[in-house]
Amino acid sequence: MPAEQPALEVPEERAASPERPSRKRAGRTPRQRRRTIMAWAFMLPLVIVNLVVIVGPAIATVYYSFTEWSGIGPAEFVGLQNYRQMLTSGEFYEALLHNIIWTGIFLTVPIAMGLLGAFLLSQITRFQMLFRIVYFIPYVIASVVNASIWENLLDPERGIGPALASIGVPFLDGVAFFGDQRLALPSVAFVDNWHWWGFVLVLFLTAMQSVDRDLYDAAKVDGASRWHQFRHVTIPGIRPTLVFVMLMTIIWSLLVFDYIYILTQGGPAGATEVVATLMYKEAFARFEAGYAAALGLGMSFVSGLIVLVFLYLRRRGWEI
Amino acid sequence: MYRPMTRKSFLANGGKAFVGASLAGTLLAGCGGQEGGTGELTYWSALEGAGPRRYYKENIEKPFEKANPGIDLKVQFQSPEDLDRTIRTALQGGEGPDLVPTPGPSFALEYIDANLFIELDEYAEQYDWQDKILGWALESGRLEGKLYSVPTEFETMLLYYNKSLFEEKGWEPPRDRDELESLAEEAQGQGIVPFSAGSADWRPTPEWFMTIFWNHYSGPEALYQALTGEVPWTDPVFVEAVDLHNQYFQNGWYGGSVEKFFSTGSDAYHTQFGDGEAAMNMEGSWFLFEVDNFFGQAAGNDNEWDWAPLPSLVDEVPLQIFELGIGSTLSINQRSQVSDAAAKYINWLFSDPERAAQRMADVPAVFNIPIPIEREDFPSNMDPRVADVLATLSEVTSKGNFGYTTWTFWPPKSDVYVYEGMEQVLTGDTTPGEYCAELNRIFKQELNAGEIPPIIRPETA
Repeated sequence: MPAEQPALEVPEERAASPERPSRKRAGRTPRQRRRTIMAWAFMLPLVIVNLVVIVGPAIATVYYSFTEWSGIGPAEFVGLQNYRQMLTSGEFYEALLHNIIWTGIFLTVPIAMGLLGAFLLSQITRFQMLFRIVYFIPYVIASVVNASIWENLLDPERGIGPALASIGVPFLDGVAFFGDQRLALPSVAFVDNWHWWGFVLVLFLTAMQSVDRDLYDAAKVDGASRWHQFRHVTIPGIRPTLVFVMLMTIIWSLLVFDYIYILTQGGPAGATEVVATLMYKEAFARFEAGYAAALGLGMSFVSGLIVLVFLYLRRRGWEI
Repeated sequence: MYRPMTRKSFLANGGKAFVGASLAGTLLAGCGGQEGGTGELTYWSALEGAGPRRYYKENIEKPFEKANPGIDLKVQFQSPEDLDRTIRTALQGGEGPDLVPTPGPSFALEYIDANLFIELDEYAEQYDWQDKILGWALESGRLEGKLYSVPTEFETMLLYYNKSLFEEKGWEPPRDRDELESLAEEAQGQGIVPFSAGSADWRPTPEWFMTIFWNHYSGPEALYQALTGEVPWTDPVFVEAVDLHNQYFQNGWYGGSVEKFFSTGSDAYHTQFGDGEAAMNMEGSWFLFEVDNFFGQAAGNDNEWDWAPLPSLVDEVPLQIFELGIGSTLSINQRSQVSDAAAKYINWLFSDPERAAQRMADVPAVFNIPIPIEREDFPSNMDPRVADVLATLSEVTSKGNFGYTTWTFWPPKSDVYVYEGMEQVLTGDTTPGEYCAELNRIFKQELNAGEIPPIIRPETA
């Protein structure tokens, strides 16, 4: 017979804590119930829209990822075949590698430019708004327009290369930015970054303006240089924004599509193919909608994994 | 498989009983359909540009409605890039227009397999389409002997050349491979790009050239055998054609270099061609629509253009071969309640050669329908070069001298590989032999899955 277990004692102050509401519904007042119903009534339209346009298609995508389906007509259930095809496809891994390179570029270049630009702008008061607008404008221009502008500017026959050559600066003459396999991916990333970094700058600037000025004054009193102020006051002060931007950069980089599709459509010879353009091609050119669904879910899985890692680290006490 | 009932069969069966007749009347009222091929007829069109769209409204929609009282033609224009996606979604959802356009037979094949189009044989017999439409065109819309679609825009590959430049240099359009290569070398030696080309804004561009090389080097007979699975794509006659095409590229004959080819858009290389910086342009007949924008006053130069048939690249291939391409087809939605009216529209398009010729003259390339036509059928004010293309094409192809364009006769995955794999050949990542082997592997899969569009035999022209 087991020894008698001592009864679990609940501390009196915790058991009686008025801040911890009882889970028993019976304890709710009619007023509380009305408020709950009202809250759901307000949320209901959004929930319905969400179910129809997000949850429904998402479930359909999961289903179609297990089928062989052209996008038209009946789908044939094929189990895990599409996922096996994805995991053994060299084309998929090459596209994924390009996504990773793209992520690396966007985790460094625009964030470094945004941080530097925001810090410099935060030091001035005159014309600050003008610069903010100027840097922000590319972000609000349609991607098709931005891409067309740069497509013309970087044209090997009629772009800035030949123009510079005509005034005696020939180093860019004849360079096929989007046609050379080695240059195509960084060139498209350059164009995308051109419109993106201004947005990042404005986010950082807004965050920097909320950093307590007294911290800078204290640092100055302690003899901190501009660099030390940036490193030890600004960066810790904007850490939540910085982490948010980095997290979103990773997710958006895994889903990147528009600039690549407009400028190179994944070419030349697959040099700029990313998973999203591959997925589009599978669905609308090769008519492999089932396989495209598996590719989409694969990328969603990777993105979800990154968010989970982020949340896990946060729970473990990381200041992110 | 779900097979929705057509209005015709519904009425035929429903007429046997009063209840059925009542129900039919209710349904027809709900859908706006009426007896005798009248009612609201919906059509989604991929016509591009304000000019052609205005022209369509004035010269097709209104005259058709006038000639067919009781039919209200409702046309909705969409961009060609979006139209097929929109139609796929709509048809899959049980909706879509009465008249369904597709970008070609391989696209139509999918819808036919999914039982989304009605059979047109009764209408073809009723309206004598076999006399109004070129034989090969009707054949391209048949599957297992049944007609499902009709081509409404056909195209071929041509050799355009800068006539003013040719006159200045004393050059003649090439008639065989030796002349073509000598001309290309001479032009390049003088700092002129032999063939203007680029794929920056249309990545499938390399398939235009593979279409040319396979037809003019391997020959239509070999292609017919390969497309029907009798010979593999690894046959030396196909590998050699790929190799020759690659050599031309590596020589810098297309667009100046492989890298420039990949990064040059159509406006840029057309301008280069018009300005005389490039001598020739291997492109489809669709370029007739805008070629005048790059020559003469409109383009700020004094140059003129002309065209010639693409030369045969080996002695065994006939001198005049025109590849057949179908830019769009028209079918009738299985769920249409006004299928008779839809058939009337298709028939109207092909019924009056004089009116059709006028449309081809007014808007070059856009309204090229496959009808038997001769030079004297075209209006006197038509550009003689455009009339010459259409009359020659009609005459030559009616004798069976035609070839096959990749985007019309290759199944979807093979077609994508034709141009994407070719990029890897051009960059040196793949050899011509490996390219053909991979094409053969993909093609066999599609052949076994029954995804090959109808392949026209030359004798059916």
